[in-house]
Amino acid sequence: MNKFRWSTFSARRPYLFTLLLLVVCMAVNFVFQPGLFERNTLNSNMRVFLPSILLAAGQAVVVLAGGIDISVGAILSIVNTILVTKLGARASTGRTAELLAFVLVIGMLAGAINGFFIAYLRLQPIITTYATSFLFGGIALAILPYPGGAIPAALATFYRGTTPLGLPLAFLVIFLMLAAWALTQRTRYGRYLYAVGGQPDAAYATAVPVNGVQFSTYVVSGFMAALAGIAITMLTSSGSAGIGDALTLTSISAVVIGGTALRGGVGGVAGPILGAVILGFVRNIISFANVSLWWQTFVNAAIIVVALAAPGIIDLFRRVVYENIKDIPAARRRSAGGHSVPGQRPAA
Amino acid sequence: MTVSLSARNIVKHYGGVVALADANLDVQSGETVALIGANGSGKSTLSKIINGVVALDGGQLLLDGDPIHLSSPQAAKKLGISTVFQELSLIPQMTIEENIWLAREPLRAGLVDARTLRKRTAALLALFEGTFRSSLQADTPISALPPDEKQIIEILKAISFDPRLIILDEATASLDNRQVERLFQLVTQWKRAGKAIIFVSHRMEEIFRVADNYSVLRNGVTVGAGPIKGVSERGLVELMVEKAATTGTMKRDRQMFSAPTDHKLRLEVKDLQTDVLGGVSLQLHDGELLGIGGLKGQGQRDLLLALFGDMPYWGEVTLSGEPVRFKHPNQAIKKGVALVPGERAKEGLLFIRSILENMLAPSWKNYGFPLRMGRARADALKVGASLGLKMAGLDEPVSSLSGGNAQKVVIGKWLLRDPRLLLLDDPTKGVDVGTKAEFYKLLAQLCAQGTAILFYSSDDEELLGLCDRVLVLHDGIIRAELSGTTLTKANLVAASLGASDEGAAAAPGTRPAESVPSQRVQ
Repeated sequence: MNKFRWSTFSARRPYLFTLLLLVVCMAVNFVFQPGLFERNTLNSNMRVFLPSILLAAGQAVVVLAGGIDISVGAILSIVNTILVTKLGARASTGRTAELLAFVLVIGMLAGAINGFFIAYLRLQPIITTYATSFLFGGIALAILPYPGGAIPAALATFYRGTTPLGLPLAFLVIFLMLAAWALTQRTRYGRYLYAVGGQPDAAYATAVPVNGVQFSTYVVSGFMAALAGIAITMLTSSGSAGIGDALTLTSISAVVIGGTALRGGVGGVAGPILGAVILGFVRNIISFANVSLWWQTFVNAAIIVVALAAPGIIDLFRRVVYENIKDIPAARRRSAGGHSVPGQRPAA
Repeated sequence: MTVSLSARNIVKHYGGVVALADANLDVQSGETVALIGANGSGKSTLSKIINGVVALDGGQLLLDGDPIHLSSPQAAKKLGISTVFQELSLIPQMTIEENIWLAREPLRAGLVDARTLRKRTAALLALFEGTFRSSLQADTPISALPPDEKQIIEILKAISFDPRLIILDEATASLDNRQVERLFQLVTQWKRAGKAIIFVSHRMEEIFRVADNYSVLRNGVTVGAGPIKGVSERGLVELMVEKAATTGTMKRDRQMFSAPTDHKLRLEVKDLQTDVLGGVSLQLHDGELLGIGGLKGQGQRDLLLALFGDMPYWGEVTLSGEPVRFKHPNQAIKKGVALVPGERAKEGLLFIRSILENMLAPSWKNYGFPLRMGRARADALKVGASLGLKMAGLDEPVSSLSGGNAQKVVIGKWLLRDPRLLLLDDPTKGVDVGTKAEFYKLLAQLCAQGTAILFYSSDDEELLGLCDRVLVLHDGIIRAELSGTTLTKANLVAASLGASDEGAAAAPGTRPAESVPSQRVQ
């Protein structure tokens, strides 16, 4: 009955474009690496992608509620440096479990600091988390001034060898995250996220606990950054205070590619997860193409700049068109309520 | 369900300004009370006190006979008091159903019960069935809706928790006739169900159709109340207008502006339309102070912004005998147009910068490169002196000035450019009486020098006192052109409310308001 409209169709499926991009990237990657879909290659690829995927999911929650977290990379670095210095190669299983729980709490605590400043002291998210990223980065550097450290071999083997149903561990993690997100969307908290990101004032007037919701998103993001820190530590088996530096930008780019608007209130977590996978493939392509890895950063940054500029460019384009079409008010009023104004006439 | 609410002797100050001095209102189950008053009479303040948005300074609110204290809109909602706001409280990115039930979603086992949500939303939407497009679905995002449908959703949101008292604050402003009709049917139903309704509107015709009782505010004091049956339009207008409104001082003020009629035509506007304005035509001569009146938000701002090139419009504008079409304020400024905006701090001034910088902001290019600061300072001082600007020095920040003096800086920056047409957007808002008087003198001076001034003011007394001719805007058209003997407070108020008073001659070329849909595209 309703006429098909491309704009409505794509608006309801924000990750459609993301899926398309994924297919293109996989195809290009497949050309460079024909064994891409073999089990081992897939496993090793997803192992490398998992930290960014976790970061992107956490970042998505923050962005959805109208904020941004630039400190996720630094939180990841703290977790990495704590693990490699405190665990060492010979830590017992009990001690390992203790420490893993400890770093998760540290991640949430770091997020809580961000959240406190932003939600309760009303500081700007971008400035606040930029500043705390140096704070957290400094702490990581104090914990581990020089790259090094070690983790029990069993941990690294676990990360490499766990393949539920013969599929990459990352698939299980993604499945769990998507399940958790699906559940969240059906709770009040899920609705609050969109409301706070969409129009905080209106949300407040409707009795939504705006501050609490904002605060919580940074705790979630800190928790996800800690998980990512654990993953990257198991992946590399070593530590470095600067290990997370480049990952912040990746997480934001992944959110953008995933169709989650940087102004908040639109999108979800599935898209950003796909976005992180896409960026992983892009990284692969760049390294296979034998060009400098610097291009990876370039691509990430370019994605963000284009995403930020796109609404402005579209608006500019509309204004130009608007000025050249003289008879708009009649058309607009018709579409607004089915009225036409008598005596309407275009400007001379 | 029964309910009764009484507001007794409500007092509210904003700083030193008294918004309400002795406001009273009684409403109970099964009745609609129209809250009426002219600009600045305090009717919006009173409705904000009843719905908990604003805290009262004195007096008492009684709900069902018991005194209540409302600390927030939420507290009022818990007591069953709901408001349909004119400024919408909807989240554009979310769907209709998500918005209506936000923070009150029906839950099952801790999760949002989508099926119940959909069913309840459908039941609410059915109330306005047939007055909006058929494609309106519970999962349509708010951003895809035109203003009238947004307003309907806002109404549905307000009634979704089955309130006992509903405040409709200008809720009909963006609705079309059919939708208003349906709303009034619903109001009748609500009354039958025992709800009480407070109806705030600027449309006389609607007040007489929907209200059982009226309550009139004038300068923060309730001056009359009773059944609407026993009163006429004229009677209400007289209540709204102070009996001793014609004062000698005002008449004398007007003498200062007696513009010679032989001056040449500076501005001619033909059928100007924007999203709000529905075709405005006017003529303005050199040395004339033409007043624009009416209730707030009837298109006055649109008119000024369109003439200043700050808003797209359709229609013909002729300035100094030359057809113009400004697309940017820059073009307007070059042709000698100046705008003194209402939001001084936001639109008129660089608040933390110095007086000198503010005065010269539009004129720096006349001072060469590098800037000839000596000449700039001398010019700024000269203008400052001519305005009677009280300042510690040109390098003081504008934020250190009082409201009136800050306003002089806004005017001063345009005087340096010698404007031919001055657009004033409620320039005396928040300015003390003494400064106002000085400001009026300044306007007289400018008129005497031949500047044409288009003067919008939300202060009716000011328009009556200063202008020879006042155009009253209502719903985006010129409702009346008042001058000479027709320029009285009663006629001004009546025209502001859309009432057709015999004394107020309809301006030539205006259409009756009913034929113009008040669609507002934001």
